[in-house]
This record gives sequence, structure tokens and C-alpha cells, in this order.
Amino acid sequence: MNVSCNDRERIFLDGSPEEWAALEQHAASCAACAGELRAWKSLSTAAEELRDYREDPQLWMRIENSLRENEQAHPLRRGLSERLRIWRDMPLGWRTALAGALVLALTISGVYVVRHQNTPDTGQSRLLKNSVLAEVERTERDYMKAIDKLAADAKPELDSPANPLLASYKEKLIVLDGAIDELRTEAERNPSNAHLRYELLAMYQEKQQTLQEVLETKR
Amino acid sequence: MGTVGLTLQWEHRISSVAGERGPRVQPSEIAAGQNRENTALPDDAALAAGCQAGDLRAYERLYQLQGARMRNLARHLLGSQTDAEDAVQDSFLKIQRGIGSFRGQSTFVTWAFRILVNTCHDLRRSRLRRKEHRQDDSNETLPRMEPRAPGAHPSLRMALERALAELTHHQRDVFLLYEVEGFRHAEIATMLAISETASKNTLFQAKRNLRGMLEPPRSAEAGGR
Repeated sequence: MNVSCNDRERIFLDGSPEEWAALEQHAASCAACAGELRAWKSLSTAAEELRDYREDPQLWMRIENSLRENEQAHPLRRGLSERLRIWRDMPLGWRTALAGALVLALTISGVYVVRHQNTPDTGQSRLLKNSVLAEVERTERDYMKAIDKLAADAKPELDSPANPLLASYKEKLIVLDGAIDELRTEAERNPSNAHLRYELLAMYQEKQQTLQEVLETKR
Repeated sequence: MGTVGLTLQWEHRISSVAGERGPRVQPSEIAAGQNRENTALPDDAALAAGCQAGDLRAYERLYQLQGARMRNLARHLLGSQTDAEDAVQDSFLKIQRGIGSFRGQSTFVTWAFRILVNTCHDLRRSRLRRKEHRQDDSNETLPRMEPRAPGAHPSLRMALERALAELTHHQRDVFLLYEVEGFRHAEIATMLAISETASKNTLFQAKRNLRGMLEPPRSAEAGGR
């Protein structure tokens, strides 16, 4: 593989092992690339100096005490974890059988309820599902509009952050917007995935809270 | 971005060592270094299961395996040993409280570090907010590293720590996680809720900025000859 000086930055960014080897080879006969390569590598070597992995048993004792206190304060949480563990530790065959039995019981109950109710047609439930989804999307749009208003209020502070705190908020918002965009793309592909909607909602709430904090700083 | 006091003579201080270490420094995931493979521990799932069962020995094992690394990362993110210890303690509490929501989308260790990074950000923000209220000098807001046990190369370490403080928080996070703690871009992406490409780009920018801050000024270099 042949590389030239023009490939250097791209390889620094995301080069494959073969490209790195080719760059090393090229640097042997190119002083400029040799200098750049050496300086680039030196940063990683220097980073190793920042490792301080000394043991600290005292800290573990502090953590252990706080974990015990927390456990005593919330015993219910552990109970739930243990019940979930019983389910996880169960052999796959048993889990499948139990899940199948549950599905069967729910189907029978469902059929019974449907037969004993005078519902006009089955299309209604499908329509209901669609209308619920539409409502979720409408509410989401309203929520986004409200957050956009908050963002507009906070924009002057974020455009030219006057202090490190505002700069930190600005960075956080950039990261949040990126995550929101990714989640929205996913949600558009799979609109009825409730988990994605919850994740998206959590991101919106985080963004809202961050914007509120920016506005509080302004005051 | 200021560069005062950050300059290092590359040729004299670092490069003589760098040439011997070779592949550790390549940004490629494959050739990136030995400790980058250690993050997905074979007993990661067992550790998660133990913590989910509320077994304190599992938390102790997590501390034995990752505690020092967590403390090191927190210290660099917060600039203080005391704050770092508080952050690690808070993170363990959050892990215990949130263990029910861990569903194995990432490794348990990656999930734990994601909590730590968020805890450090929250601590840093609340600390900044307190300082804003007290109307302290803005210079005080930059992380100031506390003295540490003598290292192999204190001047190099100090110069890098000062240069790191000049980076954006995002660049500092990615640089520390990748270059110092040895995480892979995929893991960093999970921890910081960004894409792998964004992680690679941010590392590239961070290293470029650090290089600019640490290399000797061209005029001085020329004058020295």
C-alpha cells in the first residue's frame, strides 16, 4: 500500500493498521511526516504518565458503608432484584414454557372478553392503537415546540458563553441534540417502539432541565 | 486558547521514548494498546449478576477491578482527589440504585463508567454553580491537579495536565477515556451518548489541540538553532 503526505491526517483520524504501517514506511523517507508521526505518537506515550492506579482500601470501606446504608434504606429494591434473578437463573426451557403458558392464558382471557363484549368491530382496536400513537406524536411535537421556545430564550447566553459554566452547558446541549436526532431517526423507523419513545422523552427532559439551568444562571 | 507555560521540547522530553512503544499510540482499535482489550472482562456478566442480586462482594470485586481506574479518571475530570473519591462513591451508589435498569446493552463496566462520567459532570457543574454564586475569579474554575506521588516524568505529566485543562470538556473526556484509560471508541460512544465517528473526530481534535499547546513555539525553536 502506498500513502503520501496528503493521507497523513486521514490516517491519524481513522487509519487501518495497514495504513499506519504504510505511513511508517513513508515516514522513513519523508522528514515532515516522520516529525508529525513522532509528535502524534508522543501524545499517547505522554498520556500513560497520567495513570495513577494506586490501591485505596480506605475508599472501598467508605463505599461499602454507604452501599449497606442504602440497602437498608431500600430493602424492597433488593427483593425485586432477587425475584428477577430467579427468572434469569431459570433454565431456558422452563422460561419458554412459562412464557408460553402465560401467552396462552392471556389469549384465552382475551378471546373470552372479546366474545362476551358487544364490540362493533375489530378494526376499532387497530384504530385506537393508531390514535394513541398519533396522540403521542402530537404531544411530542408540542413538547418540542415548548423546548424550542426555551432554547430561543437561552440562545444569546449559549451563542457566546460568558463563563465556563455556560460553555459546559452549551457542550452538554450539543451532545443532547445529537442523541435526540439519532433517537428520532430510530423512532421514525419504528414509530410504535415504546422504549425508544421513553428514551426520547428522557432526553427531552434532560434538555429542558439544562435549558432551565442556563436561564437560571442568566438570572 | 492559551499556551503559556505548556511548551515541551518534543525531541528531548517525549520522542526518545515514543519510538520504542510503537503500536500503543495508533488510533486504530486493533493496534491501540494492551489495556484497551481489558475492558470486556470475562466475568463482566457474572459481576453484573452479582450486583443485581445485591451481593456486596460483587461490588467489592468491581472496585478491585475498576476502582483505581475510576478514581484516576474522576481525578482528571474534576482536578481534585477528594472530589474524585466522592464521585466514585456516588457512582457506586447510583450503580446500586440503578442496577435494575441494566439490561446488558453494553458491558457492565462500560455502563459503570458511563455513570461515573455523568456523576463527574454533575459534580463539576454544581461546583461551578457554587463558585458562580460566590463570584469567584473565573480562573478558579479550571481543574487544578492536586499533587500526586512522584511519577516517572513529573514535568511531562504536569505539562500535559495543564494542556488538558485548556481543552473543551468533551475533548478532555474522550482523550482521557481513550488514551489514558484505554477504552475503545465503541465503549466511549456508549458512555458519552455519541457515535463512534464522533468519538474518533473528537480524539483527533483533542490531540491536534494538545499538540499545538505542547510543541515549542516555532520562533523559539528557530532561535535555539
